[in-house]
Amino acid sequence: MSSDAATPMEFWYRLPYSQREKYYNWALNLVLSIGLVLILFPIYWMVATSLMSPEGLFSLPNPLVPTDVTLETYRSVLETDVLLWYRNTIFLAAGVVGLTTVAATLGGYGLARLDIPFKKTFARVILFGYMFPPILLSIPMFIFWRQIGIINSLPGVIIAQTATTLPFSLWLMWQFFQTVPYSYEESARVIGCSRFQAFYEIALPLAKPGMIAVAIFSFAIAWGAYTIPTVLLTSNSKWVLTLGLYSFTQQESVLWGQIMAASTMLVLPTFAFVYYLQKYILRGFRATRI
Amino acid sequence: MLSKRWVFVALTVVPALAVFGFVNMFPMLWALAASFFEVGAFQPSWTWAGIENFETVLANSDFWASIRRSVIFAAGSVVLQVTTGTALAILLDRKFSFKRVIRAIALVPYIVPTAVLSFVALWMGNARYGIINQLLVEVGLISEFIAWYGTTDLAMLSVIVTSSWKFTIFVTIIVLARLQSIPASIYEAATVSGASRWDRFKDITLPNLKGVLFIVVLLRGVWMFNKFDIIFILTNGGPINTTTTASIYAYRTAFSDFNLGEAAAVSTLLFVLLVGAAIVYFYFFEPSQEVRVE
Repeated sequence: MSSDAATPMEFWYRLPYSQREKYYNWALNLVLSIGLVLILFPIYWMVATSLMSPEGLFSLPNPLVPTDVTLETYRSVLETDVLLWYRNTIFLAAGVVGLTTVAATLGGYGLARLDIPFKKTFARVILFGYMFPPILLSIPMFIFWRQIGIINSLPGVIIAQTATTLPFSLWLMWQFFQTVPYSYEESARVIGCSRFQAFYEIALPLAKPGMIAVAIFSFAIAWGAYTIPTVLLTSNSKWVLTLGLYSFTQQESVLWGQIMAASTMLVLPTFAFVYYLQKYILRGFRATRI
Repeated sequence: MLSKRWVFVALTVVPALAVFGFVNMFPMLWALAASFFEVGAFQPSWTWAGIENFETVLANSDFWASIRRSVIFAAGSVVLQVTTGTALAILLDRKFSFKRVIRAIALVPYIVPTAVLSFVALWMGNARYGIINQLLVEVGLISEFIAWYGTTDLAMLSVIVTSSWKFTIFVTIIVLARLQSIPASIYEAATVSGASRWDRFKDITLPNLKGVLFIVVLLRGVWMFNKFDIIFILTNGGPINTTTTASIYAYRTAFSDFNLGEAAAVSTLLFVLLVGAAIVYFYFFEPSQEVRVE
């Protein structure tokens, strides 16, 4: 700590409490700042690289702030199928978020209100669903999806990708509905609401933070989906953008500038999303009491 | 009355269970069954093989080596993610200015796709042009550029650190959510009665986090053990197989050797191993109130 007295600890504890708290906070803020720099630097470098000229990229040392900013790389990226892949990514994400949120909300509600034995066991079975390597779920999916004709199609990938989002979401909504008192719905029933009305008008609004948390969780997974689309999407007109990044790696060289530009296009718009929905990310998990 | 309630509840549960059955249970059961057959990749013919696939896999030292690497990868990742993730949550659960912006920054890795992270990491750690090498040489920590993902001694460590950049935030979110539900009055009472910062952390914060840390360690452990995409893009199992974890090994068995039966046997063994480990984990460490059921 900040002292050159003979016994620093003694000196430290002789300081008034408020002053000690202040120094503690400075130290903790410093650690937090270092953490934030470690988080932000890769993102910054991705954007910076995408704005460098091809020559600037490979002339060392790179300045930390690019001097020759150009949009050249973006222009060459836009000449590829990147916008098509972008649209596919949006479609996939929307589908997975919709399917997961609806199924998990309804299912979570049903499980929370259902009086069945072995509930706890069932909760664990859902979590055990994650113990099977996802890459190996994709093999049977590939074979079966081909047989029923939904291979190489985005709706097929939406259904398949839900395998990675639904178990956790279902479990989360189940936990969430347990924090919504059933007595509210019972009161609604007493004054003549139907069962569906009680669910729709009473329980659902109370569960909104949980639903948003599930939507964000499944969005984050679908937006960055890689493994399942790799296996199930065989033609590059159906690719999502994460697969499209590979088109910039060639036999002998890797077009780093283009990859960073396409990545920037994929990542930057989602930041606004995180900024505005952050309280729901935290609130959704808080209510789950895990 | 009771039966009507049953009907409604059943209707709400059906969609989730149908999807869960179709995309989780069905492929899993398919793979469990396939592990007892010889399955051709190109023709859907199954030939009964009994436990032959398992014998082949279990006798293969490459399989055991890949399991060992998965354990190293998962254990290293869990330790790194849980410690830094909990620390970050504690740092964020304080009063400071620009809270909204700072929390949003901390949440950034949550939304960055694994493929993007992998390419950015490969670029930053590039042996000829990487900014990490440039900066480290400049401050004098290393004397020459290092191939972070291409050196046998460093590849595993680099992959663990890279994947933790993204997945630590998962720990932070859950721990932070729990921290926010601890009433401030408890801390105030402890402070008034003379508890030091360390005492408050040890006697209030940690016991309250026990339940979430229990489930976080389990989830992160399982997810990292089965992790595929980030390792696949960063190193593809190399150099010289030093990062060939069990899921990479299974992928190769299926898609390079086209031996689906054996790949299914590998995944069955991984599954049995993880379920066994999870049961032991629940048995020995379960806090009294882990899954709250009404």
